[in-house]
Amino acid sequence: MKKVSLQFVSLILFTLMLAGCGTQVSRVDVKESHDLSGAWNDTDSRLVSEEMITDMLSHPWYRTHSKRSQSVPVAIVGTIRNLSHEHINLNTFIADIERAMINSGKIDFVASNQERSEIRDERKDQDLHATESSRKAMGQERGADYMLKGSINTIIDMDGSTQLRYYQVDLTLISLKDNRKVWLGQKKIKKIVKNSKLRF
Amino acid sequence: MYRQRLYLAFLSLGIVLLGGCASYSQSHRLIQQSLFNHNPAKALELLEKNSHSDKDLFLYHADKAILLRMLGKYAESNIEIEQAKKQVAEFSASSITEEGAAFIINDSTRTYIGTPVEQVMLHIYAALNYLELQQIDSARVEILQVDSRLRSFAEDEPDNPLSFDPFARYLSGIIYEDLGEWSDAMIAYRKAYEAYLSHHELYQAGIPQQLKESLILLSNKVGLKAEQKKYEKTFNLKLADLNSLHSQQGELIFTFHNGLAPIKKEHSAQLLAVSTGRFVRISLPAYYERNKIISKLRIKIKNLQQSTTTELTEDINSLAIKTLENHLPAITARAMARVVAKDKIASDAGDKSPLFGLLINLVGVATELADTRSWLTLPAEIQTARLSIPQGKHTLEIELLTDNNRIILQKKFENIQIAKNRKHYLSFHWASSDLMANLNKRH
Repeated sequence: MKKVSLQFVSLILFTLMLAGCGTQVSRVDVKESHDLSGAWNDTDSRLVSEEMITDMLSHPWYRTHSKRSQSVPVAIVGTIRNLSHEHINLNTFIADIERAMINSGKIDFVASNQERSEIRDERKDQDLHATESSRKAMGQERGADYMLKGSINTIIDMDGSTQLRYYQVDLTLISLKDNRKVWLGQKKIKKIVKNSKLRF
Repeated sequence: MYRQRLYLAFLSLGIVLLGGCASYSQSHRLIQQSLFNHNPAKALELLEKNSHSDKDLFLYHADKAILLRMLGKYAESNIEIEQAKKQVAEFSASSITEEGAAFIINDSTRTYIGTPVEQVMLHIYAALNYLELQQIDSARVEILQVDSRLRSFAEDEPDNPLSFDPFARYLSGIIYEDLGEWSDAMIAYRKAYEAYLSHHELYQAGIPQQLKESLILLSNKVGLKAEQKKYEKTFNLKLADLNSLHSQQGELIFTFHNGLAPIKKEHSAQLLAVSTGRFVRISLPAYYERNKIISKLRIKIKNLQQSTTTELTEDINSLAIKTLENHLPAITARAMARVVAKDKIASDAGDKSPLFGLLINLVGVATELADTRSWLTLPAEIQTARLSIPQGKHTLEIELLTDNNRIILQKKFENIQIAKNRKHYLSFHWASSDLMANLNKRH
């Protein structure tokens, strides 16, 4: 009896060990929040960009602009600097900001510096090779009214294995016509990360 | 019955471990030879071909990072550094099973996450890679990370000078200065100065002349007149002289990565204890310096008749040796405890059967190996030169010099673009130790 139970337990243990050997993948909703290391992640990027753009479009500069020019403001994203302790993927953060701005329907958005040169090359190419009716003329670009600039900063405080991570995202909307800063937005995130001192 | 099973387990574990018992530093011999022959591509090929244990992944990634850097592949090098950093983050917590195995087998059974010096060097090399890729904000991320790491070392051991790395602070100052963050640069230079002073007591580290000059120039720039005067007096330098020396718009920062860091070898003692009739062995690691033939590097700016030589800014050789000295009491205590534990297991086994006891004793002795793992592709030292030069395109020529100013190698860097009010970063690695071979195939 004892022998049988020992073999049975060994079999269960072996099965459990095998189960832990393969790579496991499970799909999760992109909107679900998963904090693994405590570092800046996709949830932070998405929430910060959505909240900040909503805040930006609810401030007086927007109404003033609409009243004065009778048109939707046109914006461009300039440099956003990573001044934090982490290598943050700024491309995804900028993409999140652009998406939040465009999807709001309240602001027009023009291609960035890099994208523009590619489009200009394409227009030059069309000039030579495309038919008269489909050719897009030069000099018809829409100029931006505002540029959005910003930075991500962190302050890290630690005590033993506990770390307090404080993120501050600052965004500034600057009028290209006269360098006026028309909106300053700030979003703060605080995370407490506790690392275990022991592992198996 | 259960005891016999335990002995059998110990015996078979020992036999399995013996299969791979060549020490880490021994398995690195061919890679070292390729570096001595100044062939990092071959070294990289060998490293990738070598089998490596999961417990040594830190070293695999760290070594690969340096070899890729030597080949000018800075972005790829940083991918490896991030992997090595991941190992440090994941395995910093003590493992119950690994500590248990280390107690009865040897210290190499633990996952290697680098010494404090090696962990700091990860950030330094990542920052240097980013600087050469002209991604200064990313280099800034690295110096913030190294600051966090140094702060946590200082929290653990506030009185240990090794908790304060001078070059990490000095490099931070240079990066902050490049970004126009003057106060942060001033703080970093001050911390570098304090660290060089404390390291002077430890291994005679000198304070680089370029740091002395930066302290005077920057304290003047941020309006700290009293501090500026204090530095002028302490270093016997005049601000006016320095202003004329550093009057150009651009600056070249050249780092020279010279030689190879020391290598750990095993020191062991084995004897037959007459009273018990069993073998006893104790093994401890010891550092050996690797031959370094270059004393400094001279940089010449072709069209300007301007030249300077590099000076020592990070003595990795001494830092590694001092770190091991610092850790040796704990390593020795663990080795002594292990000797007692192994002897007890062999003695209990011998009570059941003398032959079995002898076998257990031999396995215990054979598995008693020192942990000789270390980041072997690190250089022995980092030397730095700063040159104030006008903006525009320049051609640089470097010369590697021996102690008696004999030129071993000359190399040109063409089309170096110096921008206004910015710094330009370049580096060069030289690990070869064979003077005659290099003289014969002078480049």
